Amino acid sequence: MTNQDLVVETVRNILGGFPPVVLTADRPWDAGLWSTLAAAGLTGVGLPESSGGSGGDLVDAVAVVRTLAAGAAAVPVAEQLLVAGPAVVAADLDLPSVDEPLTFAVASEVVAHPSDDGDGPGRWTLSGTATGVAWAGVARHVAVLTSSAVGPVLALADVGGLHAGSAANLAGEPRGALLLDGVVASGALLTPAQAQALRARFALARAVQLGAALEQVLAWTVQYAGERHQFGRPLGKFQAIQMELAEMAGEVTAVTAVTDAAVQALERESRDVVLAAAAAKVRAGAAVEVVARLAHQVHGAIGFTQEHKLHHLTRRLWSWRDEAGSDLAWSRVLGAGLLADGPDALWPALTRVV
Amino acid sequence: MSNSLTLAAAPRSEAAEAVRAEVRGFLAAELAAGAFTTHVDTWLSGVDPAFSRKLGERGWLGMTWPRRYGGHERSAMERYAVTEELLAAGAPVAAHWIADRQSGPALLRYGTEEQRQSILPRIAAGECYFVIGMSEPDSGSDLASIRTRAVRNSAGDWVVNGAKVWTSNAHASHYAITLVRSSPADPSDRHAGLSQLLVDLSLPGIAINPIRILDGGHHFNEVVFTDVVVPGDMLLGTEGAGWHQVTAELAFERSGPERFLSTYPLVAEFARRLVASPDPAALATLGRLSARLLALRQMSLRIAAALDRGELPDIPAALVKDVGTTFEGDVIEEIRRVVDVSPSMDSPDPLARAMAEAQLHAPGYTLRGGTNEILRGIVARGLGLR
Repeated sequence: MTNQDLVVETVRNILGGFPPVVLTADRPWDAGLWSTLAAAGLTGVGLPESSGGSGGDLVDAVAVVRTLAAGAAAVPVAEQLLVAGPAVVAADLDLPSVDEPLTFAVASEVVAHPSDDGDGPGRWTLSGTATGVAWAGVARHVAVLTSSAVGPVLALADVGGLHAGSAANLAGEPRGALLLDGVVASGALLTPAQAQALRARFALARAVQLGAALEQVLAWTVQYAGERHQFGRPLGKFQAIQMELAEMAGEVTAVTAVTDAAVQALERESRDVVLAAAAAKVRAGAAVEVVARLAHQVHGAIGFTQEHKLHHLTRRLWSWRDEAGSDLAWSRVLGAGLLADGPDALWPALTRVV
Repeated sequence: MSNSLTLAAAPRSEAAEAVRAEVRGFLAAELAAGAFTTHVDTWLSGVDPAFSRKLGERGWLGMTWPRRYGGHERSAMERYAVTEELLAAGAPVAAHWIADRQSGPALLRYGTEEQRQSILPRIAAGECYFVIGMSEPDSGSDLASIRTRAVRNSAGDWVVNGAKVWTSNAHASHYAITLVRSSPADPSDRHAGLSQLLVDLSLPGIAINPIRILDGGHHFNEVVFTDVVVPGDMLLGTEGAGWHQVTAELAFERSGPERFLSTYPLVAEFARRLVASPDPAALATLGRLSARLLALRQMSLRIAAALDRGELPDIPAALVKDVGTTFEGDVIEEIRRVVDVSPSMDSPDPLARAMAEAQLHAPGYTLRGGTNEILRGIVARGLGLR
């Protein structure tokens, strides 16, 4: 059994006690699941022990995120383990306790000004509102990518006491606004390339979640097609249904292949990591249309209700594909990036990215 | 997901990247010298024996085969890089394509020592070409229903009667690996009683009649066998095991980059147009097509890596072919939604020509090598549904 298998089994065992719930404004996340994961050290996987994390590699963190995504777990683990945590560590900022949820936001409308609060360099005063912040109101800290007069700044703000807007995505996951006017935060200047790589990391985190959820939706649908009988036979014995399930399998396999490759690109610090992440995000987003549509078609009316579990993942799929940068935005980034070296450079670029 | 569909990620291969650079340099020089012009779907339509021989001289055919048969003992990952470079450039690779891709591996797997020694070095040299003798006028997807018969005569030779169709480039090839019914049909086991014969296409009694495809090109043929006497030692593999052997062959036939790159030259022309006249919607389209292409490359690379591990991933291969050939056709529609172009073979605009070629070849992408409906049935089996 590999380390990842062990991690996955541990997360699965914990998840068994926390079935997915319908999220509402009153219950925007699964606090009980979070504290159980934190107690098991799973909210620090992939983050260095020297910074207060639990250690382990990127692939271990990806395994945790995948397992939780497949279980529709309402906790900010993807943000903490794959985006905000590594970004804070890389920027040499002090990682907050991994027992408290840390999220990530891209907020180009928020401006950071060097602070003169007497705490020395590396302190910034923020102004502006970050909108559509994942887990706003739930996360204690946010690592927010802002602009400043001297370039992009990654600011780490304690937002525990701030009021958060109540907006949510299609699955009820909090995506509210944070008014950051006057908030003083530690922060670090990034190069534009580092800022873009960070946006790409966020997109890749969503692609990883999408891939895991797509695989799970396929598995549920295959299982349902084997159990549900009509005309005296399981649905899965009908050729029309088999064609749909095979089409879903093709989409899921494609997403897994390109997402794994993008994670590998991140791991080896490829210079093409932005394009690799863009490809994973765009491919995963494209699969959502097919897989969610056919999953609902095969499940019939019960899948269209909150009485069946399918919606926990399909509603997330429909949201995640346009989060961390929309499908359209990343498609353009990928198209433009592949043409950056000129009219005949497309093929060399395609064979280099992943 | 069912394990039979899931393959491990492909490791990056430095050797593959090295040979890729060599092939890229060769192709640039050939293009500059006017040795070939880029076309869509050249693994069907681009027959050029001189070009095939050049590839043979450089060691890019029979790459994975043992040296004693003229091969080069390189990895499937290296072969993958070579084939994908050739396809992306729209190079004329049709003459040797089938022989290098599946007939050679079939001979390696099932052939006698004499068959291997007499044929494989010629394939690797780019001098000996094969066609697939599977489909018949009344047997397409239902391959087990073929009626071409082979009967042993008193001398131990096979007497073959029947007809094969859609045999690409039979008029320019040397051998057909021909699936025949070698014993009467058994209603209780449809797959029994089939055998494969290595048929020399110059034998008396063989008529090769052209069948033109939509663009007027001559690639398809009907091959009619009338009392053709095939020497007894030209049985491939085991008598009666033809079905099993054909299935193994299909794992090679269905998984390669030609199952998603047939229309890549159209994408390349689209990219050139985009650089000349940038447009945000078209840029997004290029991004979306590229994301699909990059995923397909990873899927196909996983299969190449599985072949290197000695596996025979026929179900994942069926899945790649379904997803890949769907992509080949979608390329046309996605591009024409965002670019003003009227497809024409006679246009001075290379994008319009590539569009025309891609469109008129499009119905074939999701038919050849097993229809996508058949492939999805195989995938459904992999999902445990049948």
